[in-house]
Amino acid sequence: MTRSRIDLQDLLFGLFLVVVAAGTLVATRKLAIGHAADMGPGYMPRVVAVALMGFGLFFSGRGLWRMRVGIAPVQLRPLLAILASVGVFALTAERLGLAIASVVAVILASFATREGRLIEAIAFAIVLSGAAVLLFVKLLGLPIPIWPR
Amino acid sequence: MELFNNLLMGLSTALELNNLLFCLIGVVIGTAIGVLPGIGPIPTVALLLPFTFGLSPPSAMIMLAGIFYGAQYGGSTTAILVNVPGETSSVVTCIDGHEMAKQGKAGTALAIAAIASFFAGTTATIVIAVLSVPLSMLALKFTAVEYFSLLVLGLIAAVVLAHGSVAKSLAMVLLGLLLGLVGIDVSSGVARMTFGIAALSDGLDFVPIAMGLFGLGEIIANLERPVERRVVSQSIRSLIPSQEDFRAAFPAMVRGTALGSVLGVLPGGGAALPPFSSYALEKKLARDPSRFGKGAIEGVAGPEAANNAGAQTSFIPLLTLGIPANALMALMIGALMMQGIQPGPQIMTEQPKLVWGVIASMWVGNLMLLVINLPLIGLWVSMLKIPYRLLFPAIVLFCCIGTYGIANSLFNVWLMMGCALIGYFFIKIGVEPAPLLLGLVLGPQLEENFRRAMLIADGDFAVFLSRPISAVILGVVAILLLAMLSPQILKTRKEALAE
Repeated sequence: MTRSRIDLQDLLFGLFLVVVAAGTLVATRKLAIGHAADMGPGYMPRVVAVALMGFGLFFSGRGLWRMRVGIAPVQLRPLLAILASVGVFALTAERLGLAIASVVAVILASFATREGRLIEAIAFAIVLSGAAVLLFVKLLGLPIPIWPR
Repeated sequence: MELFNNLLMGLSTALELNNLLFCLIGVVIGTAIGVLPGIGPIPTVALLLPFTFGLSPPSAMIMLAGIFYGAQYGGSTTAILVNVPGETSSVVTCIDGHEMAKQGKAGTALAIAAIASFFAGTTATIVIAVLSVPLSMLALKFTAVEYFSLLVLGLIAAVVLAHGSVAKSLAMVLLGLLLGLVGIDVSSGVARMTFGIAALSDGLDFVPIAMGLFGLGEIIANLERPVERRVVSQSIRSLIPSQEDFRAAFPAMVRGTALGSVLGVLPGGGAALPPFSSYALEKKLARDPSRFGKGAIEGVAGPEAANNAGAQTSFIPLLTLGIPANALMALMIGALMMQGIQPGPQIMTEQPKLVWGVIASMWVGNLMLLVINLPLIGLWVSMLKIPYRLLFPAIVLFCCIGTYGIANSLFNVWLMMGCALIGYFFIKIGVEPAPLLLGLVLGPQLEENFRRAMLIADGDFAVFLSRPISAVILGVVAILLLAMLSPQILKTRKEALAE
């Protein structure tokens, strides 16, 4: 934790809410609002978005005004490895089949920590991939190809 | 006598061979999850949801419930032996439980934890059964107006009683509500916030969201702070507590059960608040409070009883009113909806077999936990030796396949990836994601009942205050919110929830 002149936690949360609320208001601008007795599809989204906007502005303001601790530094290694693992699974699962996608996903995920050893990760990935195919495709009948088509 | 008949009907469901099996699977998986620090019950339940689609609704709920209370139980094993809470609810058990283990009394601590949990589980089952009937009678008087107010109460109470800043939690509820609105609007058939993506027309699946926010986000954050685990390696000698130990533990067990049962019913209470309160109570009542933190057996018995009782009674709002008390119960509601059961105040009258079957299975499951855990303690201890560097890639893979499996949709995998990033962001900025899940699951019901209530009342908002039941419920909401502004309560809440 580092000391910061602004409350970064509050500020970031506030900005996040403002962005979401603004996005909602833009995305729903064409929906009919209707009135209370007969609400259109745009009524609730807009009510919620306006309320979120209020919270967002409140937190942003409080974040700028209060002096508090900042946030712990972001470590890219675990973040990128896990996201990449999931992303690669999504890209390959249907094209290359579950067996290969699983191996790749597990190896990529194991890069998230420095403790990992590559040989161990590969061996473990192959074992897990086999287990996943047996469990999900053979036993549970998940309609996903095992090998590349 | 009605109660007796209901319990009997429940037992006959719970004791069906396949339900016994699913209950066993549930408690075993739950215990394993509880023992292993690094993945919580929320992503686990989310992960296992696709497996329950083929089951009948009672079997599915029995298994999922088993995972939940099994996890509470397993958490205490890790707490005692490794001094790392497997679950948030066993944070307090670490204090005296691990101290007992260091003194060579690991067996006694584990046994007392098991006995306290079983005692609390049995009592809580009876509490649920007794409370369910009057609550469901009341619920039958509910129209859309009352139900809307009740949903608001559920959401607000969950926010007020849970960890973290109330304002942030309220914002998270709203965020969840907003996500719940994505999809085709039921009344007009217009697509809302789908951005032209066909996979979004049925709305966002809550499983990838739960797995991303609670599972993967947590894993990424865990990997940033490497924790070393040291298992107390001495062999576990005697599992049977001495008479003296038992005499010291029993009153704590009873008090813990009572406290846990009450706090569990409150929305947001769940299993996190009761053990903390019980520990504080035991310390206050003890003749020599300085023993606490140095291996006091009451410090294990009370909180363990409280957390198990609380875990179980938190099912009451779900089973009688169809309202989840916490994020995990929200997943259970989701499981019900996927089974085609509309949760609501009628759930008890329309699904008696389901409700009473789940209630009775809790007692059966607690008995199983007692039987499988004490002899198998060695197995659980050896599971603790699985290194995290092997555990987390496996969890990531199973999350990917599990999310895909819900609708055979790669969109859900991408959604989970996005939620993992957001979940990590939330952890970094110190925001609890649980209220978001509540909002997401309750959002559609909240909107539907609000629209229906407004339709009945011709757009007059006063209807929520002119109907007596609704007015009382909203009165409670107002009191809760006002109470949160009082500095005195803010202070005690901070102390009670401080970890």
